[in-house]
Amino acid sequence: MATSKIRARNISKHYHVGARTIHTLDNVNLDVGTGEFVTLVGPSGCGKSTLFNILVGLVAPEKDGELFIDGHPQALDHLLGSVAFMPQRDMLMPWRTVLSNATLGAEIDGVPRRVARERALASLDRFGLRGFEAHYPGQLSGGMRQRVALMRTFMFDRDTMLLDEPFGALDALTRALMQRWLLELWETNKRTVLFITHDIDEAIYLGDRVLVMSARPGSIKFEAKVPLRHPRSPDVVTQPEFVALKRQLLAVIEDESLKAFAALNQPAAAGRTAI
Amino acid sequence: MRLLVRLINTAGQFIMLPVALVLWELAVRVFAVAPDKLPAPSTILSTMWAGRVALANAVGVTLYETVLGLACGTLVGILSGIAFSRFRMLERMFLPYFVASQAVPIIAFGAIIIMWFGNGVASKALIALYLSFFPIAVNTLAGIRTVSEGEIDLLRSFGAGAQAILLKLQLPAAMPSIFTAIRLGASLALVGAIVGEWFGASQGLGVVLLTAMYDNRVPQLWAGIILTGLTGVALFAIVAMLQSRIVWWQAEV
Repeated sequence: MATSKIRARNISKHYHVGARTIHTLDNVNLDVGTGEFVTLVGPSGCGKSTLFNILVGLVAPEKDGELFIDGHPQALDHLLGSVAFMPQRDMLMPWRTVLSNATLGAEIDGVPRRVARERALASLDRFGLRGFEAHYPGQLSGGMRQRVALMRTFMFDRDTMLLDEPFGALDALTRALMQRWLLELWETNKRTVLFITHDIDEAIYLGDRVLVMSARPGSIKFEAKVPLRHPRSPDVVTQPEFVALKRQLLAVIEDESLKAFAALNQPAAAGRTAI
Repeated sequence: MRLLVRLINTAGQFIMLPVALVLWELAVRVFAVAPDKLPAPSTILSTMWAGRVALANAVGVTLYETVLGLACGTLVGILSGIAFSRFRMLERMFLPYFVASQAVPIIAFGAIIIMWFGNGVASKALIALYLSFFPIAVNTLAGIRTVSEGEIDLLRSFGAGAQAILLKLQLPAAMPSIFTAIRLGASLALVGAIVGEWFGASQGLGVVLLTAMYDNRVPQLWAGIILTGLTGVALFAIVAMLQSRIVWWQAEV
């Protein structure tokens, strides 16, 4: 692989809650190639979102962590604004129209309002929002709101996009449509994408590579290249390569989920035996 | 059928007032109530008509004091709400005193305000400001605090600084609760202006009420009461209308 777009080394994070120390991330090492679509799966509470917050620059990791973008070392406390980030919830502003929600990031980035609006207007078709530019978020369906949020992420023009479970809250059908649509978008734009999901099918269908995080403290426990060519059609999920990889991933994730579950239930279990 | 019910409901709202007025008029006439106890609506109306120029002027003066005081109170309230949200220290230092100041009835130091600021518009506007700014400050703070950490993080991820976060996120998000407070503040500001006029003024609704009371001119007193009520309702309605125009995205009750 040539230089990675993102190369993270020894990223750890712990929090102190009273006298206790909670290790959220433990020596995460991560490489995402330029133009690569990498999906990240793991049991809930494994620190996926913390990892994203660190990569976005919202949270500082422990001191020995290192991060390189295009091979250049980055100051971990000055990352804000360097990647395009999409949080789990769409967080659209109810007082802004679709168009001005979509241009919010660009606007804050200093792009003149008029230029940002023109760019957004030209992209409406790609995001399936033509005709809705003057609507308000309250008038949109869940899938459309998510497309506006995604458009906002694209309009904040960065090579790298971090998407945190963008389709997690959508119904299965809308979700499948959004996945296809995102893949098409990515195939034409070739941005570097790191995508968190808890859905294994989604991880394989979208990703060039799937990373599996361990239970807390999170680290990269397993990785696999997805042996499927682009463009991928929806029926790719029935191909033997897909099924084989899914079986493999399920085994790893179940293992980790059980660990996470056991850790979660320890105090409760102890209480139960006492009774 | 449903339409009919709605029609009756709507009509019911508007019909209550004339019905009440007619009953009032009839009661006064039938039972021959003395006009210095309770004048008939027709008597009050003719008093109002006779004194229309002076009364209109009184309404104008009081309204001016109220609006001036409310506008300043809104500005001071919003600015202090922002300051409190930005600096916890300021909140800890000042908010307890703000709360305590609200517990002191304005009546207690109205006289001092008049002595310091004269018996013109300034003293009344100041009292109106004093009464109206507090709920606005508190609601601005509360409104800003409704913004979630996640929303702030999203803006920070775009490289937004404190100012952009305030202007693009926190203030717009606080607007519905700010407007709710302004609605409350409008009624308080009117009370403030009238109380201020009682302590010392040459014109205004407070003066109308006070002189009518001293001269025992009961119809005049009722004219003052009705005009004060109408002024209050009109102010409230204007603020409510602005609210539904400006913060339409959140239906406030």
